[in-house]
Amino acid sequence: MELLDKKIQLIVASDHFLCRLGIKTLLSVIGVDADLLEIKNLGELNSELNNGNRPSYLIISDSILPSPRHKFIEDLRVKCADTKLMIICEKLSKTYNCDQLVVQSYEQKQVLEKFQDFFNEPEPVVNSEETSVLSDREIDVLKSVALGLSNKEVADHLCISINTVITHRKNITSKLGIKSISGLTVYALLNNIIQAEEVH
Amino acid sequence: MKGLQVFGENSKMADVIHKDYSLIPILGRFGIKLGFGNQSVKEICDSKGIDVGFLLEIINLYHDPDYFPENHLRDYKAKQIVDYLSHTHQYYLNVKIPQIERYIQEMEKDPSIEVRKNIGLLRKFFQEYKDEIQEHFKEEEENVFPYILSLENALKEEVCGSDLMKRIKNCPIEIYERHHDNLDVKLSDMKNIIIRFLPPVQCEDTCEQLLVNLFRMESDLEDHTRIEENVLIPNVKKLERKVMEIYGVTR
Repeated sequence: MELLDKKIQLIVASDHFLCRLGIKTLLSVIGVDADLLEIKNLGELNSELNNGNRPSYLIISDSILPSPRHKFIEDLRVKCADTKLMIICEKLSKTYNCDQLVVQSYEQKQVLEKFQDFFNEPEPVVNSEETSVLSDREIDVLKSVALGLSNKEVADHLCISINTVITHRKNITSKLGIKSISGLTVYALLNNIIQAEEVH
Repeated sequence: MKGLQVFGENSKMADVIHKDYSLIPILGRFGIKLGFGNQSVKEICDSKGIDVGFLLEIINLYHDPDYFPENHLRDYKAKQIVDYLSHTHQYYLNVKIPQIERYIQEMEKDPSIEVRKNIGLLRKFFQEYKDEIQEHFKEEEENVFPYILSLENALKEEVCGSDLMKRIKNCPIEIYERHHDNLDVKLSDMKNIIIRFLPPVQCEDTCEQLLVNLFRMESDLEDHTRIEENVLIPNVKKLERKVMEIYGVTR
């Protein structure tokens, strides 16, 4: 089951060329194929919104926003209720009402995680009687993860997108209550999903 | 009422323990031993040269997760905080972890090969966790604590070297705060594996003890992290600001 088969609508609004370029690069790294609209200033953003453009995803640098910024964001959320919003800001701010917040000083790993979480589809609803049992596909993913493969390697190995791998991993963790990779390895060994000889 | 200070200077130390026995090891970290008769918290602290305000802050924070330090902006001697945290590290490494290891060893004596194999997996998993926590403590003790002490020292001696200045500018405590790892992920995983997935073992009693101790260690670590975040880090930020105010502009 591919979750991101259809193209998503994304607007990237930033006055910094480097920032927009960086976001595009990140999207290709995490395997998000988006219908992308780049916006350089507040005026362009307002005119898109006034024309009724309601993207499914919106990424904004807070540097283009008029003050009070949090007020603008509140209005935006009302206007685009179904849009997932990410703010890129200079300093950590708790007043922004958004789905993800990325601070410019974040390291690569943190930024990647934020972007992956942002584009990750909400977990599919699982029936209560199924919650304790892993699906066959989840067992495939668990097996690869327990053997120490990275998300990218798992994706290549099972011919699915990285996002799908991440979704499976989230579901595995919520079903088992085990977060760490070595914890998943112990689970897989206890249940003979992998054998001790296979673990490096 | 939540969030307010439950224990004060005049509380009898014995009453503190009657009210919350999980505080016993915390007193140990301050060097306070049982057998305190009818003495109040303040009397005991005075006789041991402990800052009573600091001790109250710690025990109240442990007792009530919602307690927000009233004396938030009060200065505690950095050395005092660092000493307390180092003692806490020692407590985990010398008491808590060996205790858990003993339970695991005990369980590994099970007659069934299958069970021994399973417990062996737990032992390895816990060993990994131990390595991780040792690494974390070592980093704090070798890198973070000396920095904090040198900040305080700069204020006391009225000298601030260029190295310290560089560090405040390039690698302030905020960076450490941002990267402060969660030490409880693996502990919580281990609990879950035992509760949900470990096939039955013969020594149920030991297994139960192991589980209870994992729960205790987890909640103790959460409190420890809260103290680092609510007491240590705000104090260090304040020291950094003071040093910058005095030496930052003229250089």
